[in-house]
Amino acid sequence: MEETEKDRNIRILHSGVFTPLRRWATKWSLWPCHFLTSCCGVELAHTGACGYDMERLGTLNMGISRQANFIMVEGTITRKMARALRIVWEQMPDPKFVNVIGACGQRGGIFWNSYNITRPSDIVPVDFFIPGCPITPEGLLRGVRAVQEKIEGRDNTTIRFKHVELPPEEGEQNRAPTTPKIFAPTPLVRVDVPRDVDWAFGNDLVKNLKAQLNGLYTSITITDKNRIAIKTTPENLVETSRKLSDTMGVDHVKSVNVIDVPHERKFMVEYMVSGYTEELMPVILTIFTEIGREAEPEISSLTSLWESANYSERELHDFFGVKFKGNEGMKGKFLLAPDTPDTPLRRDYKLEEEQYTIEEGVPLTSAITPPHYTPPSSSPSYSESELEDLKMPAYEDVLKEAEKNDEFVAFIGPHHSGSGHLRWVMRMKGDIIKEVIPDPGYVHRSMEKIAENRLYIQNVPLTERPNISDPINMNLGYVRAIENALGIEVPERAKYIRTIMAELSRIGAFFYDMGIFPLFMGHSTGFMYSFAIREMVLELMVRMTGSRCTPSFIIPGGIRRDISDDVLDRTRKFTSAIHKRLKKYENIFVYNPVLISRMKEVGVLTREEAIRCGIVGPFLRASGVEYDVRKAEPYEVYDKLDWEATTGDAGDCLGRIFGRLEEMKQSVEIVRQAVDAVQEMPRGGVISEEILGDYKEASGDIRGYLYNVYGDLVLPKGEWTSVTEAARGTVLYSIISDGESNVPYRVRIITPCWMNLRGIIEASKGERVADFWTVYASFGYFPPEADR
Amino acid sequence: MMEMIDTLMETVMSNQVSIPLIEPMLDVLPEIPMLQYMVAFMLWKPLFAILICPGLTVGGLTLLFFPWIERKLCGRAQWRVGPHEIVWWLGGVIQLLADTLRFLFQEVIVHKDAHRPYFLQFPFLSFTIFLLPLLFIPAGTIVAIQTPYAIQIILALVCLFPLFILGLGWASNSRFAYIGTVREAFMYFAYEIPFIIAAIAMIILYGTSDPLLMASRQSIPGIILNPVAALVFFIGAAMATGRMPFEIADSDQELCAGPHVEYSGIAFGLIYVLCYEKAYILSALMTILFLGGGSGPVIAGLGDLSGVLWFVVKTYLVLTTLFMLRAVYPRYRLDQGLKLGWSPMLCLALIGLAISLVVVAVRVI
Repeated sequence: MEETEKDRNIRILHSGVFTPLRRWATKWSLWPCHFLTSCCGVELAHTGACGYDMERLGTLNMGISRQANFIMVEGTITRKMARALRIVWEQMPDPKFVNVIGACGQRGGIFWNSYNITRPSDIVPVDFFIPGCPITPEGLLRGVRAVQEKIEGRDNTTIRFKHVELPPEEGEQNRAPTTPKIFAPTPLVRVDVPRDVDWAFGNDLVKNLKAQLNGLYTSITITDKNRIAIKTTPENLVETSRKLSDTMGVDHVKSVNVIDVPHERKFMVEYMVSGYTEELMPVILTIFTEIGREAEPEISSLTSLWESANYSERELHDFFGVKFKGNEGMKGKFLLAPDTPDTPLRRDYKLEEEQYTIEEGVPLTSAITPPHYTPPSSSPSYSESELEDLKMPAYEDVLKEAEKNDEFVAFIGPHHSGSGHLRWVMRMKGDIIKEVIPDPGYVHRSMEKIAENRLYIQNVPLTERPNISDPINMNLGYVRAIENALGIEVPERAKYIRTIMAELSRIGAFFYDMGIFPLFMGHSTGFMYSFAIREMVLELMVRMTGSRCTPSFIIPGGIRRDISDDVLDRTRKFTSAIHKRLKKYENIFVYNPVLISRMKEVGVLTREEAIRCGIVGPFLRASGVEYDVRKAEPYEVYDKLDWEATTGDAGDCLGRIFGRLEEMKQSVEIVRQAVDAVQEMPRGGVISEEILGDYKEASGDIRGYLYNVYGDLVLPKGEWTSVTEAARGTVLYSIISDGESNVPYRVRIITPCWMNLRGIIEASKGERVADFWTVYASFGYFPPEADR
Repeated sequence: MMEMIDTLMETVMSNQVSIPLIEPMLDVLPEIPMLQYMVAFMLWKPLFAILICPGLTVGGLTLLFFPWIERKLCGRAQWRVGPHEIVWWLGGVIQLLADTLRFLFQEVIVHKDAHRPYFLQFPFLSFTIFLLPLLFIPAGTIVAIQTPYAIQIILALVCLFPLFILGLGWASNSRFAYIGTVREAFMYFAYEIPFIIAAIAMIILYGTSDPLLMASRQSIPGIILNPVAALVFFIGAAMATGRMPFEIADSDQELCAGPHVEYSGIAFGLIYVLCYEKAYILSALMTILFLGGGSGPVIAGLGDLSGVLWFVVKTYLVLTTLFMLRAVYPRYRLDQGLKLGWSPMLCLALIGLAISLVVVAVRVI
């Protein structure tokens, strides 16, 4: 029998004179390679931080593959990342071990039928799988223990299944949910369904728009409060946009979207734009047009007007094959890997369907095809062509240009201690950065495509997966879009609890970013202190919802169940207990003189630059734009509580960090006020009775009724857009429903990090090389969120 | 033949480490044939210095256990435990032994683009050469080679360190190693001049560069006589060893450990301890120059070992301070590090020199 790659490690361990010594040493010195592949990295960070302290087991996180002997594959491996995983594995010296953590690493988890997912076990030999979505730090430590036992030659950890004969089920009550999905065959897809709303300013605005855009538009409709749709022709698109930009003060793009309507042989292209002026702030103008669905659809790009549309246009070029004339990035793929299917978001690319019952002889899934460059396990070395295949794209033109200008190019990531899950191509002259070119998409898990193929309620867990360090706010945006469409009023108590949880989530995300920032600065104490505080937040989350990072607790109409007084009491105590630890953290890290000298006047974005790049959230506020969705378009109970939005005007790294610190303190204040209010409130329903229908008894606790209530949710026809202030900025969900199917026709998710990417590039231009990491970390960039 | 042995024994016996505590044992020894000579050789001061302290034994133990102390202390500062499970009843003290053995048994990868001979030579070569300054460092009164120019020789050898790092980086032929190497070269020039000036200030202050005489002339420790030079020397040592605010050349998050990004197995293991070796030597030097070397209250019964003990304690104190910087500071940027080296530190070093001259002048008057 030929030796597999997996056996080779064990053979190396068990051969030679020094076998016992060798096994003992390897066992206690498993250094995991710092290879972040997906969102489970959040929990890995917790395992390394002071709450769990992985170093107890001699497991020291090492940044460099050559010196490590252990990979923890953190969740999803996309097609783009698969290549990187193989390279990293090849770079490591023998003997080496691989643990795959998270459900995605086994069969894709929640993304099992995505077009961009591979199985890590197809790419590298895996020693142990640790399930969970995400895994808990305890599970991760157990995984390390399992590998240690394997090295010793023992195996107590693997679960062995027994085959048992189960009697056929009786009755209907315990069946798996069987709500069938209804796809309307030829739906009427419209984004400008008029709606009667009480919005005086809107009527004036429409009059104004009609006067300004005379002859350029086809129709102007009020689709909802604060939402106006402007239909135009492809020829007039640029002219319309220019008019809006020049006369109305529209200065940024919130979202770019393409909707594929194959049965009408057209694409709808829409730009959601807005302006940061006092009255225009909450308003979103949707400029849309229709283009034919021929072989190479084309439309003029609006990048020259609004820089912020740039990356979204490039992304949509990948997804739909729609060419945006005038955008320079239309040559190759941006988000997707070379071997990902072309134009996967078109309607005629079908994903594998979900099966609720398993039939004899039918394989459970065949959706995941291995990437084509997996080398045969029998041969230890590569042929030349295989090696070529394994290499990542090298940006030949950048290299050539750099050589001409006497510059140096470094490829940073995706396996790099300071890159996160994406690749940066950095052109530098001496110690000065000339340009940083991003290569995102290493965690692109096709959230938008999957969302089109699942029930509305099934998308709730999906929408929080992009950002498990800030899950509640991600959920809240999606759920609010649905509630808005259905016109549901959420019970008061649920609103308060949602606010509490959203703010806790914001605090958690702040401490996540403020833990990664010290790491990038080489300051591990700051990381530990920060994650210690985050552990307190997660503790509260567990007590409220039962999950550390992925609660899926917010559902259309309210929350899953009421939270107990005990937990509320704890939350109240937390708001005062946090200050003591925060003080220590501030003293050691935030007010550290070395750090302040590193951040001051570094990565400056002026107000105009910030708006032009389209950055959002606290980072935009740090540059002096007073835009906070919670103030501009209040949702939940933010308008009833006493708090202030923070703004600064420095626009440098220090301003961004201090702004977020101040915002976090405001969040603690909000939580305190909200908890006080809830404690005085009578207990009652937390789910709106309008959505419960016949199941009124579920209003305090949805358990047992979820699919009965939400299984056949259908949204009214039209486009429903919600804007939410997540921890790192504005998250925008735009759901397009055809009014017939019980799955969304299209879901567009614009996450704050995706918008901030442009800001990082601009801010780091002309700075010193080491400053890139200051800028990068000051933006709190979280790649899974950006790539979706 | 016998005469030769006698002459040799005379030389050896005339320069013995005297330890009153074990003298009764030594009196018994002449009855056992060969052991007498062996013990005599072991206690011969130059050999004792090379083999025991500050040489191989103490040096080796430092390399093996000091990283553990560092990890444990940092762990305490960071609200956690640090290495623990390996021998839980000793707090994981042999963690570094496991790491070292693991590196020893692991594959050494030489990648295609590397300059193979240099790539493999440099780690071993540098490790050996970095041990040389230990020959001139006295522990108490025990020193391997006693010369009036010891400090100058140690400084010259210490200045060799960065050259080997440059060699490592060059042989690696990797982009990150290249940037890291260039940064190392820049930093080298930034700290070396103030560092040497600070040492020279102390030589002027004591009027000698013989470490043994230096220790005897520090009735008031050098750090009190010239605190400015001590500060410069300490910061210089932190820069030279790449400690935290100045971990610029091999910054893990920016350059993936810079010059040694491509090393694996035992080659990396040697480079990993290189910085500890360097820190040990510089701490010993700091002990001699500023903390009075092995001088301290004589512990009855230990004799010469008393000085050795004080020397080791002081060196470890400096070493711990140096390494605990990691728990407190993030790292500087390259230009900030250079600026610090070339302006404030150079000025301070010159002020230190002036202070020394004043002190000497006052003494003369």
